[in-house]
Amino acid sequence: MELYKFLPKTNCKKCGKPTCMAFALDLLQGKVKIDDCSPLLEPKYKKNYDALKDLIGSEEGQEKELKIDVDTELCDGCGICVTICPVNARYCPPTLSGKAPDYPPENHQLFQVKGGKCELLAIEHCRRIEAEGRERECRVCETYCPREAIKIDFV
Amino acid sequence: MVSKRSVCSGCSLLCDDIIIKTDGLYIEEVIGACLKGKERFDQITAKNRILNPLIRKNSELKKVTLEESIEKAISIIKKSSKPLLYGFSTTSCEAQLAGIELARLINGFIDSNSTICQGKVLKVSKETGMTLTSISEIINKADLLILWGANAAESIPRLLNKVLFSRGKFRMTGREIKTLIVIDPVKTASFGVMGVRDIALQIEPGKDIDLIRVLKEECCIADSVPNNGVAGIDKDDLKRLLLHLTGAENGVIITGQGILSSQSSLNVIKELLELVQLINVKQKKGRISIMMLGGHYNMVGFDHVALSICGKNHSLQFLNNQLIESKETIVSKIENEDFDCSIIVGTDPISHLPWQLSKKLMAKPLILIDNKQSATSYVADIIIPSAITGIESGGLAYRLDHIPIELKKIIKPPNDILSDEEILTKIIYGFKEGR
Repeated sequence: MELYKFLPKTNCKKCGKPTCMAFALDLLQGKVKIDDCSPLLEPKYKKNYDALKDLIGSEEGQEKELKIDVDTELCDGCGICVTICPVNARYCPPTLSGKAPDYPPENHQLFQVKGGKCELLAIEHCRRIEAEGRERECRVCETYCPREAIKIDFV
Repeated sequence: MVSKRSVCSGCSLLCDDIIIKTDGLYIEEVIGACLKGKERFDQITAKNRILNPLIRKNSELKKVTLEESIEKAISIIKKSSKPLLYGFSTTSCEAQLAGIELARLINGFIDSNSTICQGKVLKVSKETGMTLTSISEIINKADLLILWGANAAESIPRLLNKVLFSRGKFRMTGREIKTLIVIDPVKTASFGVMGVRDIALQIEPGKDIDLIRVLKEECCIADSVPNNGVAGIDKDDLKRLLLHLTGAENGVIITGQGILSSQSSLNVIKELLELVQLINVKQKKGRISIMMLGGHYNMVGFDHVALSICGKNHSLQFLNNQLIESKETIVSKIENEDFDCSIIVGTDPISHLPWQLSKKLMAKPLILIDNKQSATSYVADIIIPSAITGIESGGLAYRLDHIPIELKKIIKPPNDILSDEEILTKIIYGFKEGR
């Protein structure tokens, strides 16, 4: 959101992205550069361009990787992340009624509780990587963890 | 290696979806259980497991055979005229049945942990009545959850996962239509699962009864909400709470230790149950029900077993092999030192009860039937090890929503340890034989 504020917000599609919001998300992950947004180079957006340069800094253009960090010290295996994750809900039907998914886990399953602690299985199927549009901003596991053991970050 | 679904006896939720991998002797892996459940399965090989019967001789615990320990226990019981039986909330219903039978035979006083816990609600509900619900009904139909003095996120970790985040069958979505209201003086971990539509009410300590009285009045006379709010909750929040209470199609109030441990807890519970009834009469399209959040996995079981046999859910006093009327509880019994020996089954009163009471309990002969070391095992005179119910022995247990669930034997106990039920039956048999 911080980055989006400084974009032209015209949704001109000159960068190849459908909206300015999508461009901002890709900019955050390092998939595109600031210069890819051609209207920004115009003189009237000079201030915004400089501000963006300051925000992104030297990391510009380096592709960032999604990282979901589960703190096993804090986790008590309540399994809220397993139930609430939309990817788990689609591929593991038992989670719909709050039950533990089948074992061995399904290929798409993201979270699993094993030995009283939460485990991350297949991060490549996370909505933040696979989904399109608004679904890409999914943060449910981080939001609803009562122990605040899950942290989502781009490294 | 076999992997199968099993019931977890870690807490009163009794999750039936746990997957365990076992080779018949040990449990290798536990999948799906929370930390509490995993610890329960780990107890089989835990360091503090009691594996041999012990008798205290010259203030030192000595290993003996099972027969010797049971004989010694029987001799202590025979000498006593006012034995005290306590615990039974972490045993199967069969063992509780044997415990009540033993109490009847030896003219003792039997009580379970529910007397200082959720048994109070059941006791009050005899006068006022109570609407109950089940977990599956909450999963599929509920749209309002109120945690009243309960920190479910930490005490029963998987409860919120099951009742709040599951999608259910008759609703389009799950978390989105379920409103959560937390009423608690302390900002507990349960506040962490709140969304934007949920209401967090930080009530002033010990003022639950004021809030309930205001809500009751408001149910009878509209617009009687005090302008300054009540018990630290402002007017707007009160109105929102009332709107949810009267508008919910299927609401659940989960009562925890917060309500029960206040000084006038019986009054608070009575007012709360009356409030629920008042709302249910007024409300046309739905209802509000109560769910009691107990900790031990079969605490509700003792209430049901005692109710079915004696018509009283806890604090049973026997005289001349018959139940007699008595207003005493375990606390008053120990306080007045109205006992001369105690039999503790599967609990740890020395660390649960206040120090003044523990001291009095320690002074008399203490027989402990348990599977792990605790503060009580350090002061007990006779320790008889028992198998872990739900893993090494089977039986029936009642879930927190009063639904019986069968626990199954998964592995064999070490050293041919007997189950609680078998030990109590042996004591009963020995007592009858020697009489």
